[in-house]
Amino acid sequence: MSGFRAQELETLKAKIAALETGGREDSESLPLGDPRLDGRFLGGGLPLGHWHEFSGEGMEIETAASAAAFAACLAAPLARRGEAVWVLRRDDLFAPGLAGLGFPAERLIQVCARDEAEALAVAEDALSTVGVSAVFAEVETVDLTAGRRLQLACERRGSTGFVIRRRPYGGTGRRETAGSAAATRWRIAPAPSEPAPGEFGLGPPRWEVRLDRCRGGRPGAWLMEAATAYTYEAHDGTHPLRLVAELGDRQLAPAQPLRLAG
Amino acid sequence: MRQLYAVDAQARQAGLFAGQKATDAAALCPGLVTAEAEPEADAQALTELADWCVRFSPAVALSPPDGLFLDIAGVSHLWGGEDDLAQDFRARLAANGLPVRVAVADTPGAAWALAHQGKDALTIVPPGQQAAMMARLRPSALRLEPQAAAQIERLGLKTLAQLLALPRAPLARRFGAATLTRIDEALGRSKEALVFRRPPSPWFARLAFAEPISALEDLQRVSHDVAARLCARLEQEGRGARRFEIAFHRVDGKAHALTIGLALAARDPVRIARLFAPKLETVDPGFGIEVVTIAATGVEPMAGRQVRLDALLDGGLEDGLAPLIDRLSNRLGEARVWKTVPVESHLPEQSAAPARPLAPAPEAAGWDLEVPRPLRLFRKPERLEGVISLVPDDPPRQFEWRRRLHRVRHAEGPERIGAEWWRREIEDVRIDQVRDYYRVEDQSGARFWVYREGLYSSGEPSRWFLHGLFG
Repeated sequence: MSGFRAQELETLKAKIAALETGGREDSESLPLGDPRLDGRFLGGGLPLGHWHEFSGEGMEIETAASAAAFAACLAAPLARRGEAVWVLRRDDLFAPGLAGLGFPAERLIQVCARDEAEALAVAEDALSTVGVSAVFAEVETVDLTAGRRLQLACERRGSTGFVIRRRPYGGTGRRETAGSAAATRWRIAPAPSEPAPGEFGLGPPRWEVRLDRCRGGRPGAWLMEAATAYTYEAHDGTHPLRLVAELGDRQLAPAQPLRLAG
Repeated sequence: MRQLYAVDAQARQAGLFAGQKATDAAALCPGLVTAEAEPEADAQALTELADWCVRFSPAVALSPPDGLFLDIAGVSHLWGGEDDLAQDFRARLAANGLPVRVAVADTPGAAWALAHQGKDALTIVPPGQQAAMMARLRPSALRLEPQAAAQIERLGLKTLAQLLALPRAPLARRFGAATLTRIDEALGRSKEALVFRRPPSPWFARLAFAEPISALEDLQRVSHDVAARLCARLEQEGRGARRFEIAFHRVDGKAHALTIGLALAARDPVRIARLFAPKLETVDPGFGIEVVTIAATGVEPMAGRQVRLDALLDGGLEDGLAPLIDRLSNRLGEARVWKTVPVESHLPEQSAAPARPLAPAPEAAGWDLEVPRPLRLFRKPERLEGVISLVPDDPPRQFEWRRRLHRVRHAEGPERIGAEWWRREIEDVRIDQVRDYYRVEDQSGARFWVYREGLYSSGEPSRWFLHGLFG
């Protein structure tokens, strides 16, 4: 490749990047403290000023406990920087549980919305507010239009959204949408914990984390744990998540096999 | 027995009066038109009228069944004097088909007496002259107990002048202390306590229009203008308010009130008007709105804040957290926006309580971080079926929840949580209020918070419940 073409390509890349970040110089990112993980993202950490999507499978579709716990751990350092808002459709979030995971739950503002559209509107409103650094929203699905609106709201103040997909109890099958404006898309499943040798009971909570989609980065799958959960070290300010192992790529195969018509 | 409840002017001329037997009245006037009395509807209408009267004075008290007290001290100059105020009041009510009798006096007692029994429909008592003006009225004009009034008249005391001439001590002995109190209140020797329909708030502003308005844009503009009036006063005194009530008074005598609440005391008219804006659509202007009033409650001292230089870049305090909470709690309702604060209680469901989003942190110690608590706590614990445990005191080995079988791999516990017996009668305390909580993990890694209700007693199967989920 000639020098001229390379230069041309660089200019084009910079132009596209500028368009994607809405004119900002370059967006901030939140390092997760492990190079194996941070290396997957373009900016060396979870991109801020975007929104991220977390979902679960099986029982978790309705309870979304693991997805919420993982998102809370992921965002804990961010929530300590400013205010955090959690938008719910069903008020079963228990603040002492969040506090145990190392999330600053005493300042968390919870909002219970009446329906899906209202939950998204509240999330959008909260994202475009000065001083709010992280917004969590438990919604069933975010379609392309709603996703773009969330993205615009994120860009206005550089705040970060965490959308936890959760179906209301007794709802029908999950509605899947074609595209998504999310910067990253995660699938979270609980994983059996490992108590320390010679100890009884449960070890620190573990999750099987799959990064299915990552704009400008590479997807991956990991086994992660909240090493300091339920100890006083949970609030010492370090990132609560620890990478236990990298999972094989075979587990990245689509959950539902491709089916041909006929 | 059917009686006349009330009569109009024409019927009164024909010799009918309230309390007359219906059959007698029909005999006097063969063509008499009657309608059933509706005391509840009358009371309702009187309350609505009281709300409308707020356009004259913020302090309005009901005097059932057919009267209203307006405290016009300090507001009459807005109309150019008591006389003009009373004339305007009568004219407006007459235009709505309500003939009224008005009396203005130093004391509520004297005003009531002259309004009910005075010669003219409009009486204005010069300051300190109530005794002279009331001299010719009957003693019942003092709102006396019916027995006392009847006894006074039986003794031949036909006018108040005669009653007032009597020495006080025998008066009290014969007719009761209440009679004496009424006399003192009417003459201004002692103060009468009126129950105003709303506490008179000194934080009140009104705006009247030459031409009635009805367009939505006009309502938006006037809600800002009237708020600005009140906020200017609040600012002068270094105060802000947490609740504003705006009322639109229609030409036909009805009022429509809207209320907003704020997370932090404020006095910024733009912000207040913005919170009212989405609710203005519910206002039915009818034939037009002629007066708008605003009242502030929850007024508290508020230091002036200096606008930071960088606020211009960030969009200012206007876009901060407090306005967000105001927007949300006015749109969704105050109960739907909260912050959780620790409460000192052993019961897990009571250890966290919702609080106002911007309330200061409570005194109670924070949650114990070393004790694992679930991320999702069910409001009503869900009964578990098919629980198998090796011995009765053991955690479950497997259980069924929502038609799925969960095999327990690891378990932790028990954490015994008893009811807070010291909070109630000792007789009500029962042994089955004890719960043994276990944290269990199933084959796939899902973590649950389950408990066994009560203590083990042989022959009875243990009852297991799922109370929450750990992420």
